Amino acid sequence: MIDALTEAFVHLQGWMFDRLVQPPLLALGLGSHLEMAFDGIQFFLAGVLQIGFAYLLLRPLEAWRPVEVWPDRRAVRVNVLYSLLDRLGIVPLAVFALLAPLFAAVDGWLRLHDIIPPQLEDLLPALETRPLLCFLVYLLLLDFAEYWRHRLSHVLRWWWALHAIHHSQRRMTLWTDSRNHLLEDLIGGFWFAGIALLIGVPPGQFIGLLLVVKTVENLAHVNARLSFGRLGERLLVSPRYHRWHHALDLPPGRQYRHGCNFAVLLPVWDQLFGTQYRGQALPPCGLAGDPLPPDAASSGFWRQQWQGLQAFVAALQPRAGTANEAQQAGTHAR
Amino acid sequence: MLALAVLLCGSQMAAHAGLAIALNSADGTISLIDTDSYKVTGKINVCKEPHHLMPTPDDKSLIVACAASNQLVFFDPLTGQEQRRVRDISDPYQLGYSPNRKWFVATSLRLDRVDIYDPADFRLVARLPAPRTPSHMAFDDASQFVFVTLQDSNEVMAISLPTQKIAWVMPVAATPAGIVMSPDNRYLLVASMGEGVVEVIEWRARKSVRKIATATAAHNLQPKGDGRHFYVSNRTIDGSISLLDTQTMSVVEKYDVPGGPDDMMVRADGKELWTTARFARKVQVVDLVNKQLKLSIPVGSSPHGVFFLNHAGLR
Repeated sequence: MIDALTEAFVHLQGWMFDRLVQPPLLALGLGSHLEMAFDGIQFFLAGVLQIGFAYLLLRPLEAWRPVEVWPDRRAVRVNVLYSLLDRLGIVPLAVFALLAPLFAAVDGWLRLHDIIPPQLEDLLPALETRPLLCFLVYLLLLDFAEYWRHRLSHVLRWWWALHAIHHSQRRMTLWTDSRNHLLEDLIGGFWFAGIALLIGVPPGQFIGLLLVVKTVENLAHVNARLSFGRLGERLLVSPRYHRWHHALDLPPGRQYRHGCNFAVLLPVWDQLFGTQYRGQALPPCGLAGDPLPPDAASSGFWRQQWQGLQAFVAALQPRAGTANEAQQAGTHAR
Repeated sequence: MLALAVLLCGSQMAAHAGLAIALNSADGTISLIDTDSYKVTGKINVCKEPHHLMPTPDDKSLIVACAASNQLVFFDPLTGQEQRRVRDISDPYQLGYSPNRKWFVATSLRLDRVDIYDPADFRLVARLPAPRTPSHMAFDDASQFVFVTLQDSNEVMAISLPTQKIAWVMPVAATPAGIVMSPDNRYLLVASMGEGVVEVIEWRARKSVRKIATATAAHNLQPKGDGRHFYVSNRTIDGSISLLDTQTMSVVEKYDVPGGPDDMMVRADGKELWTTARFARKVQVVDLVNKQLKLSIPVGSSPHGVFFLNHAGLR
């Protein structure tokens, strides 16, 4: 059964590559990108499967045990669009096209000057021939980096202006995760790919790592009363845990002034760095006020992008008022 | 005593005949295949992004180029056991020994560079920028030059080995990949993926003299071992392998080999050609007697090279 499915997947990947991708790349003189394009199709097909599985498994769960019941799901539709753009590789492809030449230029310059960037395996040679263990270590390190990326996106004003698009939604569902400003996607891609390059993640594993992260993020946003159990809730970010990150009203306490529960996969980072909140209730989600107008919760794709950009530009302007006021403003909604 | 020697020699020959090693680039593994039963007998984790393999000139080792791990990994081609690792080889993609065994050359496709090493200790002798995307390589018989295809700039670069300087660069047909020297040392044969041809270049005059149509995405060339013919892999999903006659400079046979045939190896008896099917996770075995695909052997993801000791001549 698994062999037959793998065979079908490989056949489809090969067919798409041969009929749809290779001819234009060759015609445009981009033959050296063929191998990467082949991996890109794998990412696309994996994205289709992931969206399919998420819809087939998580959507019934949302219907069966919803946290919130809404009269209609119109505000969710735009998030479906975000998810398709993200999971089917359109946004990642654009980010890759912008960043790949930059990374290649830096790496090429280093090598030409006899500098081979160090890799994780230089410290732990045992990882060289243990790809699964290596994958898990990469996942751990990237998740640690993602925790700090996420936390910074709540602390820095200009970053928060962009990230607020993600938090502006009041109807959190399995489609919520990909709702991001495109500029933030670019910054996030730079961060993730830069660290992956720094620790030596090969392209084949990069796709796998991205898929694991995205799958857990899908699950974390689901609108369902789903418990991972006493132990599970401590090991993996659950919908309840992440719901507090999206809460309209943050928990009391100075440590939560920028928000709580920033972890993407492993809650242990919040525990270590003092940002964990283990509330048992399931609070309403959304954004109270700044930096976006109230209609950002339900506006369309392009309007949200524009609103995010406006907020971003405003956040880059020097602020009027005293240093004290500025500091207070810095502890924005999150 | 003689009988014992014959016996030992015979057993070694049997071992030679018994093992094929296929390289899986995306998995970072090699698959061990029994060439008699065509069964995969093992899989070994090697490194990140192994891209090509080649034997040492004495056939005692098989070298795997680990691009993303910056290493060369040496295997015993008789047993598949790892022998050693040479580190700090920056992003090796394709490898080649000059015929006089004085130079070891590695291309870095991703980072636009050609590196020349001393094969005695793999000390870096020269590092040359080679924009863009240096891919396959060939040498002249006198080891005066290494010729490298530049896939994205549609060129062939000649590097002088005694001086380790770029001698010249010339334009060729679109997206050149595989490159070999003709048996008479007069022509370079360059597979052009973009035009689906093998371009014949009189290298001393730096002149393109002919384009021989094979099929879409002509990718690599492998000698038949008779000093005259080369097999050309046409790397599409439908796929084919053409047989090129270097005396008439024409395609004389063609076999359907689906799955994106890439690297090839011909058995010493000339009865079989093995090729990695890049897009199908298989090694395809072509029966050269009946001139058809004999069977497919499932291996790992993105197989990019295959080798066995019992092979036909490599020139």
